[in-house]
Amino acid sequence: MFTTGSKLLLGATVLSVVGAIAFGVTTGGPAGVLGTIGLVSLASVFGFLAGINLYTRDGNVAALEPGVERTSAAAQPPVGRSLWPIVGAVGVGGLAVGAVSQPVVFKVSLIVVLATVVEWMIQGWSERASADRAYNEGIRRRLLHPLEFPIVGALIGAAVVYAFSRIMLSISKDAGRWVFIILGTIIVAIGFLFAAKRGLSKGTAAGIVAVGALALVGVGVASAVSGQRTIEEHPHISTAVCLGTATEAETEEIDDKASQDVAAKSNVISNVELTEDGRLVAFNLGTADTEYHEITVPRSTTVHVLFTNKTEEPRRLTVHLGTFPAADGTAGSEQADCTTAVNQDGVAFLTFRLDKSQAASTTPYRLTVPGVEGQEISLVVP
Amino acid sequence: MDRSEATVTTLGEMSSTRRRWPLAALAVSAGTFLASCASNAPQDYFDPAGPNAEKIDTLQRPVFYIAGVVALIVIGAVGYIVFKFKDRGQDIPEQSHGNPKLEIALTILPAIILAGIAVPTVVTVFDLNKQDDTECIINVTGQQWWWEYDYATGECGGVEISQPIVTSGELVIPADTPVLLRVTSRDVIHSYWIPRLNGKRDAVPGRLHTLRMQADEPGIYTGQCTEFCGLSHARMRQAAVALNQADFQTWVDNQLEPYTAPEAGTLAATGEQTFIANCSKCHQVNGIANADGTPVLSDPDLYVVSGVAPNITNLMTRTAIAGWTFDLINEECRDALWTASPDEFGAMYLAGVTPDCFDEAALRDWLRNPPGMKPMYVDPNNLDSTGGKYRGMPMLNLNENQIDELVAYLLERK
Ligand code: HEC
Ligand SMILES: [Cu+2]
Repeated sequence: MFTTGSKLLLGATVLSVVGAIAFGVTTGGPAGVLGTIGLVSLASVFGFLAGINLYTRDGNVAALEPGVERTSAAAQPPVGRSLWPIVGAVGVGGLAVGAVSQPVVFKVSLIVVLATVVEWMIQGWSERASADRAYNEGIRRRLLHPLEFPIVGALIGAAVVYAFSRIMLSISKDAGRWVFIILGTIIVAIGFLFAAKRGLSKGTAAGIVAVGALALVGVGVASAVSGQRTIEEHPHISTAVCLGTATEAETEEIDDKASQDVAAKSNVISNVELTEDGRLVAFNLGTADTEYHEITVPRSTTVHVLFTNKTEEPRRLTVHLGTFPAADGTAGSEQADCTTAVNQDGVAFLTFRLDKSQAASTTPYRLTVPGVEGQEISLVVP
Repeated sequence: MDRSEATVTTLGEMSSTRRRWPLAALAVSAGTFLASCASNAPQDYFDPAGPNAEKIDTLQRPVFYIAGVVALIVIGAVGYIVFKFKDRGQDIPEQSHGNPKLEIALTILPAIILAGIAVPTVVTVFDLNKQDDTECIINVTGQQWWWEYDYATGECGGVEISQPIVTSGELVIPADTPVLLRVTSRDVIHSYWIPRLNGKRDAVPGRLHTLRMQADEPGIYTGQCTEFCGLSHARMRQAAVALNQADFQTWVDNQLEPYTAPEAGTLAATGEQTFIANCSKCHQVNGIANADGTPVLSDPDLYVVSGVAPNITNLMTRTAIAGWTFDLINEECRDALWTASPDEFGAMYLAGVTPDCFDEAALRDWLRNPPGMKPMYVDPNNLDSTGGKYRGMPMLNLNENQIDELVAYLLERK
């Protein structure tokens, strides 16, 4: 009376009920509740499926209606050979390799295995979806192409972008400019050729694109292997330099184009200017015409200041961030940060944040310009 | 027959007719329309109380009316067509495609209307962005789930502010004076809005946006955060309080008055110690000192995600706490204050939380269990995602004696 399929499902149902009871009794806390709910849900789903299976006698047409075994959907031969067993095997192998070597291999293999499961299942189903062979072939395409095309397209796009980026990163800045101007021209020219020569055969076009793609991926891989060109670090300016107690190779780090790199000009709390006659003044946001020598800075708030140097000497703006006792109870040293030095009429951006009230620091918060004496703007932090 | 039975019968009858859809639509629109007629609506932008909001109102009213007329014409035409030409089994009428004259006309007409609206809109936008008439600058900083106001040192509407003033919830400004707010945030995006005084301005971390504020007359103008900012977004409210110049001077003087410690031996004096032990790590009370005279300084940056907690030096000069959500004064006093005439308002506001008006229920509840009043986390015991720091004020497990002492102490902070 129990069909083969329903035996399996009934067994699974009983197992999940037992599991749910065992888990519910032994495991407490929110995890216990959640787990039990999960297992009970599993049991009801298996029970439901078992019921359906019993009712339909495993969907066994022969049992329901003798004589249809030759014409039924299930009796149809497979549509074609399937690649999925091999792809799946490679994926599973990759899982094993990835588990002991690179996590990325494991992740890619996992994706391959999951994709295989989906593709294979749908293909298997579609081959016997109906008794009509032509319909079966069509339905797989209708179901999977909307999924496959965008994903494969995105993968191709990513490969192209990745290959280009590797090339850009490995060749020198100046060569890069020319390489990409020429490459761009070639691609446009080929596109133009395709468009102009209507009669171009499909095979020729595919051949050209394939050669181009291969060349791109090849050069991309070669570039990735040869590594990036050395990219110069921005010079880190030490606290000592900011405070004017040490000097560095100043001229080296002058940022000639500083003002071009400032993106946030529009929302600075203050424009600080070292005037031609050597005074340091602040024009605060909201009252742009009044010269201030004090800026009120709310606590724990990131603020930006724009520094303009009107003098002939290269100058930098330093923010004094206070002195706090060190963890070991000693007095601690003064913290500071600063802009790079800028030439006459150069502009530089300074971002800082003061977390403690002024009273907590033994030195005042303020803005100064190393090398310019007697000029400062105090920062009032309530 | 009582009312509910009557309704049931009517509904039953209606469902049998084909008329119920128009009726339901009518009921919904009438309900929505009537809901807009509330008399007690302090956040009504159709009721501007300052020049900036007036500019917006002068712009939006005609646009609203034009759009309303257009909407009525369109809805009316659609309704007419739907009923007039509905399928009664008649023949399909002659089909046509394209009508260049009509299409051009129907493109040009809206373009003209939109251009007509664009001109005053752009003018107003630039007008509302002016900064050259500023007479007072106040930094407004949002964080989950309250607003902090830092008054920059300098002149504010003719009143000298010698030290920065830090308050929360209630923005006190001189009336009839162009004030400029510099709005930013310390955690997520918030938005500052006092509907009767100006439009909204987003508070974005790392950016400083300006917002003009000006109230014609002394009074209290309420608002709320208008950018969803987490669990207690709905409890992030604020108000602007406008005072005439003399009253504003009094308010500033009072905010900057040096600290007076509670009299020794009083409950409030015990409260001061309780405060130092439990609250000072987050909250600053300016001037509060240890027994040896060293100042007690707060370190909210170590405990709170946003890096700050309200400065409560003058807590009792405000009328509501914790995102201006829970009243410190009873309903009667609040109604009196909110409806006071511009002449009476200043004195009434400056009296602060008087013994007659003080309603300690909310403050006590707050000290007992802040997250119970203002949801802050899904799981208050799990601070992993914030590196051990709190959002908002945590539950401190104070006992009733400590709460009595703290309330006595806080009552003197005015
Ligand atoms: C971990 C930091 C922290 C501690 C400790 C703390 N608070 Fe708070 N408190 C806050 C934060 C943050 C807020 C703002 C909460 C909000 O509005 O959502 C707040 C709000 C308040 C307010 C409302 C202030 C206003 O202007 O709206 C009062 C009053 C208050 N706390 C009192 C106390 C007292 C009294 C104690 C000591 C028993 C205490 N707090 C301890 C962080 C703290
Ligand atoms: Cu908010």
